[in-house]
Amino acid sequence: MEKPALARVANAFLRIGNTTFGGGDTTQAALQREFVDRQGWITQEDYAIAFSLARITPGTNVVAFCAAIGARVAGWRGAVAGALAETVPSAAIAVAITWGYEAWRGNPWVHAAIAGAAAAVAGMMFASVWLLLRPHLRSMRQALRAMLFFAAAFIAAWEFRVTPLPIIGAAALAGFLWKDE
Amino acid sequence: MNALVIYALLLKATCTSFSGLASLPLIREDFVVKRHALTDQQLNTAVFAGRAGPGPNGIYVVSVGYFAGGLPGAAAGLLAVITPAFLILPMMRWLKGRTESARVRSAIRGVILGTAGLLLAASLPLARDAVVGSLTLGIVVATFLILSFTKVDSAWVMFAAALVGLMARG
Repeated sequence: MEKPALARVANAFLRIGNTTFGGGDTTQAALQREFVDRQGWITQEDYAIAFSLARITPGTNVVAFCAAIGARVAGWRGAVAGALAETVPSAAIAVAITWGYEAWRGNPWVHAAIAGAAAAVAGMMFASVWLLLRPHLRSMRQALRAMLFFAAAFIAAWEFRVTPLPIIGAAALAGFLWKDE
Repeated sequence: MNALVIYALLLKATCTSFSGLASLPLIREDFVVKRHALTDQQLNTAVFAGRAGPGPNGIYVVSVGYFAGGLPGAAAGLLAVITPAFLILPMMRWLKGRTESARVRSAIRGVILGTAGLLLAASLPLARDAVVGSLTLGIVVATFLILSFTKVDSAWVMFAAALVGLMARG
């Protein structure tokens, strides 16, 4: 398989990573179409390994995924290009939106729009909780285990004000010791 | 806030989470509760700013950095998003094959479930801040239902909610 020029790889990341809305899953699906199916730069197996390892890499999965795909195609320079191309333009847009909010927050119309959007953010957070839980509710036994982990973490944080790090560590240890399959 | 401190705190949050918004409980703890560098409303706006544009959901960390320390803070936030991603390179070399271990997968699922509980605990104060009447409560419920049970892009829901807020004022 012939290695493409770094500029072509970076261009593909820039084009796809910053024109897909809807988060990491959408971007990863679009990158699969481009890198595996259209360009043939990586194999389906490379894609699957990057995809599964990105799930267990700390941080934002899709950025790790882009670094892995970039490394597979063009070495460490490809990894840097993948991570930067995926994040820098969207970071600039996020800063512009935040700046706009700061500059216009005294305006009652902007305030009304932000109030609506803030309510939607709260709804989105609850949806994220549900979407994290849903795959773990397939059988009664699995659901009971999942609800126990979920409730224990929530009560520890909400009721006893335990900070997130020990809760994450305890959840990992409990999951390691109590296998779910 | 000093950009280095912002980077260290945001890196701690991104390095101990496994998806975009999962870093939010730790970020709220450090920036809102302990240091008062952000309000809950600003954190809400940062999440909105991250979701309203293209790219990964975790990019809201850049907006958190911007609120806490201006442009240097935003750059620190961007670095905190990028840094943990490179852990995948040695992992690709050394962990290839071990992801099939049932115990490792079970531990990861334990972290995901714990994160869901933490996310709920972090969401409640944000919701309390955002719900100021029946309209905003309706938006919270509608957004939850749409994003949980349909494939509609969250960015469209955010814009629609902003539009509803505007129309309610007009």
